[in-house]
Amino acid sequence: MDWQGQKCAEMLMQLLLVVSAVAAFLVGYAMADFQLMLLVYAGGVVLTALVTIPNWPFFNRHPLKWLDAAEADRHPRPQVCAATTAGKKKIGKNK
Amino acid sequence: MHSFGHRANGVATFAVTILAAMCFAASFSDHFNSLSPVASVKILNTNWFQKESHGNDEVSMTLNISADLSSLFSWNTKQVFVFIAAEYETPQNALNQVSLWDGIIPSKEHAKFLIHTTNKYRFIDQGSNLKGKDFNLTMHWHIMPKTGKMFADKIVMTGYRLPEQYR
Repeated sequence: MDWQGQKCAEMLMQLLLVVSAVAAFLVGYAMADFQLMLLVYAGGVVLTALVTIPNWPFFNRHPLKWLDAAEADRHPRPQVCAATTAGKKKIGKNK
Repeated sequence: MHSFGHRANGVATFAVTILAAMCFAASFSDHFNSLSPVASVKILNTNWFQKESHGNDEVSMTLNISADLSSLFSWNTKQVFVFIAAEYETPQNALNQVSLWDGIIPSKEHAKFLIHTTNKYRFIDQGSNLKGKDFNLTMHWHIMPKTGKMFADKIVMTGYRLPEQYR
């Protein structure tokens, strides 16, 4: 998932679980059936898991723009200065 | 939320936390019940009234217990524990409570009942104070919830009296 997708997934998870809980409580209270409340909530949890856990395509709509290979070669990675046996103590790291 | 496992962990943890909140709400909803229990106990017969082996007074009675406790049941009730205690005062003790009978009511359908029985537990005094004793029969109940707080209350029935002499 990209960053936007992760944020979306987290938000969806919280929203879906709270909505499931409220709906389950209201249904259970209205029907005076404790077990029904738990079943509705369990259904909501399963739904939330199916929507937010797998890496669905809609979580990848703002993909990260990685640098392509040709461009990367033009900007070489900074090297750590190789220490010689004589100057090991004097030479610090060059960035 | 960067991996499958991380998201799965998040869903599981948050789901359980919300479940705890729901159980709290369910228990809290019990405060809004209006309870209207009805009960009455008749002593049909005092079977015998003697000193038992240690010299303490003992009574055996046949009781007719009728009650309608269906209003005590809510969606969050697992069972109701009911017991009847004889309560009286003696020179030694300001309050004596002796449990004579108890039962578990598993559901609303069983909450309206009429029971004809001798006392399930022995009615033995600490001493010999029962001759001609006035006592109350109190029906206590504990409403045991599926989740959360347990409520307990009672109905006091007065006007009972033991015989003046042993028989």
